[in-house]
Amino acid sequence: MPRYGAVIDLKRCYGCYACNMACKTANHTPPGVFWSRLLKGEVGTFPNAVRQALPVLCMHCEEPSCMEVCPTGATQKRDDGIVIVDKDKCMGCKYCIMACPYGARYSVEKWESYFPDGLPLSPLEEFQKKAWEEKSGIGVATKCDFCLDRITEGKEPACFEACPANARIFGDLDDPNSEVSILIKKERGQVLNPEFGNEPKVYYLLPR
Amino acid sequence: MDPKVNGQLQHDWGWQIAIYLFLGGVGGGAYTIAALNHFLGESLELSTTVGLWIAFPALLIGTLFLISDLGSPSRAFLAGMKPGTSWIARGTWIITAFMVMSFLHLVLHRFTDVGQTTGGAVVVNIIAVAGIVFAIGTMAYTGILLGASKGIPFWRSGVVPVVFVISATVTGHFAIMLGTTLFSGDASTLIGLRTMTLEAVGLVVLEVLAILFFLQEAFRFPDARESAERILRKRMFIIGYFILGLAAPLVLMLIVYRSTADGGVGGNATVVVIGALLGLMGGLILRQAVLICGALPTLNMAGFKFRRIHRPKEPKPDIGMLPPQ
Repeated sequence: MPRYGAVIDLKRCYGCYACNMACKTANHTPPGVFWSRLLKGEVGTFPNAVRQALPVLCMHCEEPSCMEVCPTGATQKRDDGIVIVDKDKCMGCKYCIMACPYGARYSVEKWESYFPDGLPLSPLEEFQKKAWEEKSGIGVATKCDFCLDRITEGKEPACFEACPANARIFGDLDDPNSEVSILIKKERGQVLNPEFGNEPKVYYLLPR
Repeated sequence: MDPKVNGQLQHDWGWQIAIYLFLGGVGGGAYTIAALNHFLGESLELSTTVGLWIAFPALLIGTLFLISDLGSPSRAFLAGMKPGTSWIARGTWIITAFMVMSFLHLVLHRFTDVGQTTGGAVVVNIIAVAGIVFAIGTMAYTGILLGASKGIPFWRSGVVPVVFVISATVTGHFAIMLGTTLFSGDASTLIGLRTMTLEAVGLVVLEVLAILFFLQEAFRFPDARESAERILRKRMFIIGYFILGLAAPLVLMLIVYRSTADGGVGGNATVVVIGALLGLMGGLILRQAVLICGALPTLNMAGFKFRRIHRPKEPKPDIGMLPPQ
């Protein structure tokens, strides 16, 4: 059984938001929901300041605090390490949203139009709404599942496939010969905020 | 490092949760005081009765507010499935047990003569002791629920449960004072008014110390500090909680205490009612302010700090297409 994880090479990422868009297209996420996000950070002061893009998604932690606090058992970690939400068990208490220090979870009360002023849903939005309700559900916790349906078909998650700079690599952390394992070892992959103690499975290769 | 880089406010828990935490606290505090008074004798009979009348309905209404906030209320019955790790599941069992105890105590105390018999009195006493345990558990739970939230640094402090237990006791105490005064129609009939005002003063002073300690703790950590600065900039918190919810009841209770020094208590009913109402309002504002000022932590790595993107609740105006004709 593989143990899925990912590596994001910050040297290659130039912040084009292709991952955001690919995720939205693949998962039909409603307005305001970004399972795959891009943050912008900076360090130093003028004139020696540097900006850096940081793609963020669910870290699929080894010790997921969202799963720990879930009162119904809706949040589960599969044998392959992917953390999922069983929408039929979730009661929508949103405690997992408060417990995730990476801000990876969302709850959607209503699928609203991307367009303002109370416009009715367009045919595409109607399709997206239906797909979202079938897969993720309304009023329950939702999150990135590493595009489980795509993995099952032998494909990469949508955001990984869409990255034009090849900055995102998906693979089996337990396989010492996988690209992710080699990169983490060779380039000293680091995780975000290790002090949280969640042991994320998304590693970052630092900019030089 | 740029101090402007900060976390984003949580908006998933709003006023329904604030009312739930508030009413859970009021119920727990009122029951604890009522049950303790039950052991202290007949002179405090009225306050025991009032406290029991407050506790169960407060818990019931608070729970309804929690259920109304759920995304799938029809699955609320699953809430207690994982008490091993989840504080909501533990809280569900604690509050359920507390509701049963407070309801039984109310029924036995008000609607039966069971307490008059020797065997019955023992049963009522056992229920009261168990009720106190679950009431304290409920008060603590409302704080631990927030304290165990890893994603909100402002809440993630051992001081939060302490603040909430003290605040719950204060609000429960004020609720009993309010109910007792209204039930009797006049504070002059309120037995032990002086004692209760003095207790209120002590409890409010304790709450002031606890909230100051909580804020001082928050200022020690950058992410929690953002929230602490934000809460201190809120007029609702400074005027609604500190001035009207803490300082005003403190002054009013001191006035009542001083004016009853010679044994006369006439004319203090209005002051007691106003003070108690302000104290209750303060408890609600405290919870609402703590909730809405909770912010997600800043992500960082290798010296970089990263902003979170804005999660708009409403689409931005002035963009998009014209409405269909």
